Amino acid sequence: MTLEQLLADTKPALQEIQTRDLADIQQASDWQAKYRILMQLGKKLPPMPEKMKQQEWLVKGCESRAWLMHYHDKSTDKHYFILDSEARIVKGLMAIMLCLVNGMSSAELAKFDLCHKFDQLNLKPYLSQSRGNGLTAMAEKIKACCPAA
Amino acid sequence: MSGFDVQQFRSQFTFFQLQPDWVYLDNAATMHKPKAVTDAVQRFYQQQNSNVHRGAHQLSQRATTEFEQARDIVASFINAKHRHEIIFTSGATAALNQIAFGLMHTVLQPGDRILLTQLEHHANIVPWQLHCQRHGIHIDVVPLNSSLQLDLAAYQQLLLQKPKVVSFSHVSNVLGHIQPVQQMVAMAKAAGAITVIDGAQGVVYQQPDMQQLDCDFYVFSGHKIYGPTGTGVLYGKTALLEQLTPLLAGGEMIEQVSFVNTTFNKLPFRLEAGTPNIAGVIGLGAALQWIQQYNNNDLIQHKSLLLKAFFSGLAQIKGVDILSMPVHNAGIVALNVDSEHPSDVAAMLDQQQVAVRSGQHCAMPLFSYLARPGAVRCAFAAYNTLDDVNRCLLALEQAVEILTA
Repeated sequence: MTLEQLLADTKPALQEIQTRDLADIQQASDWQAKYRILMQLGKKLPPMPEKMKQQEWLVKGCESRAWLMHYHDKSTDKHYFILDSEARIVKGLMAIMLCLVNGMSSAELAKFDLCHKFDQLNLKPYLSQSRGNGLTAMAEKIKACCPAA
Repeated sequence: MSGFDVQQFRSQFTFFQLQPDWVYLDNAATMHKPKAVTDAVQRFYQQQNSNVHRGAHQLSQRATTEFEQARDIVASFINAKHRHEIIFTSGATAALNQIAFGLMHTVLQPGDRILLTQLEHHANIVPWQLHCQRHGIHIDVVPLNSSLQLDLAAYQQLLLQKPKVVSFSHVSNVLGHIQPVQQMVAMAKAAGAITVIDGAQGVVYQQPDMQQLDCDFYVFSGHKIYGPTGTGVLYGKTALLEQLTPLLAGGEMIEQVSFVNTTFNKLPFRLEAGTPNIAGVIGLGAALQWIQQYNNNDLIQHKSLLLKAFFSGLAQIKGVDILSMPVHNAGIVALNVDSEHPSDVAAMLDQQQVAVRSGQHCAMPLFSYLARPGAVRCAFAAYNTLDDVNRCLLALEQAVEILTA
C-alpha cells in the first residue's frame, strides 16, 4: 500500500468522524457509551501496514505505541495525516485529534488550539493525563508538522 | 483464621477515608501511608525542622537524634549487624546506581563479568549497563524457565564463568514471583561472587534478615513499605561499603578538603552527601516501627487470601490471560485480556475507579521474552479487602464485555 492510497482511505473516515461521531461523543451519557464510540472510531481508520510502522513515525512517550505519518501538499498548502496505535481507546482519541486538523493549511494548523477543542468535546481530561497515553506527545507531533513561519 | 482485622488496619490510612470510592491496586508502584507516618513527617516540619549533624542548637541535635534513631530502626528491621551499614538514599534506584558506580575500578575491572536476570527492573539493569559498557565489563543474564521462574540450572552454569557481582530482585515487580534468594545468594557465594538484592518489592512482603540471608547488598525504597517517597535504603556489609566510590560528593560525606586532596568521612556518612531527606527518613522509621506492631505472617496470610480469591475470580472471566503464578507470589498479578492492549483494559478499570498500572513496568527485557506488549498489573497490599478484589473482578468483567463486544 502506498502513502497516497492510505491517505485516500483515511480522508473519508476522518470526515465521517468529523461530521457524525463528534456529536455522539459529546452527548455520550456515561463512560461506557463514550468508550464504545471511541473504539469504533479507531476501527474506522484503515490500519497502517506493519512495514510502514517505522521508528521515524513513532510517537514517543506512549505506554502503547502509536505512529503518525504526515503529508504536506505544498501546491495547496494542506496537511494530511495517517495514524495508528496499538491501543484502541487511544487510537479513537487520536482519530478525533486528526479529524480536527486534517486538511488544514499551515496557518490554520499553527493557530489551532487542541486543548480548547478537546474541552468543548468533554475530552479534556484525556489530554491532561500523564505521558502515559501519549495524546500530548501526539498533539506536539502534529504541531511540529507545521513548517516554521 | 488469624487475628488480623483488615478494617482496623485499613482505618489507619487517611486516604481510604477521604477516597472511599477508589480500589487501589497500584501498590507495587507506591503504597499509601498510615497516619503514623504522615503525622511523623508533619510533626517534624511543624515542630523541629532543623538540619542534622551540624547545628549549634538543640533543635538540630534533636533532629539528629531522631534521624539516627531511624537508622537504628532500619538496622533492626532488616537485622543488620551494624547501624553504619544502613545508608539512606532517595530510593532503591539511587541505591543501585551507587552500588554499580561504586564498584567500578574498586572491585570490578575491565574484562570482568557480572550476572543479572531476565526479569529485572530497569533500575537493576541500566546502572550496570551504563558503567559496564564504559569499563569493558561483560553482563550475563539468567534466563527464565517455562513457568517464568528463574532457571537455577542455567544460573549455576553462568556462575561457572565466575561473575564478580550477581544482582537480582527479591520479588519480580511484574509477576510478583518470589525468588529463592537464600539459595541464590548461597550459590553465588560458593562461586565467589558479591551479591546484590533489589528488595524494592520484597521488603514489604517479608522482613528480610541480613545476617541470615548473608547477601552483600540489599536495597529498597521507603515508599513501597508505607514510608514517604524520596527515601530508600542501601544496606551493605561494612567491608564492601568501604570499597564503594561515592557517587555523590559534598557536604557531610567529607572529612578534610583542600584543593589538593579530600578525605572522606566514615560510614555511613561517607555515602550520604548533602542534606538528607530528614523528614522522609523519620517517616520511614515511623513506617517500619508501625508495621512491626503486626505479625507479618498475618499480613502474608491475608494477602494470600486476597490472591486466592482474585485468581479464582479471574478463572471465571473469559479471555483473561494470567502471566503470574499463584504460588510463591508476593501479591502481584500481571494479566492481559485476550489480544487487547493492556492500556485499554487499564483505562476502563480507571473509569470504574480501580487503580492499576499498565505497560511494561520498567521491565522491557522481561516483556520481550514474554512476547507481549505489556500487562495490566494488580498489586495487592495488606490494606486491601475482599471487597476490593470483587470490585476489581467486576470492573474487569465490564472491561472485557466492552472490549469484546
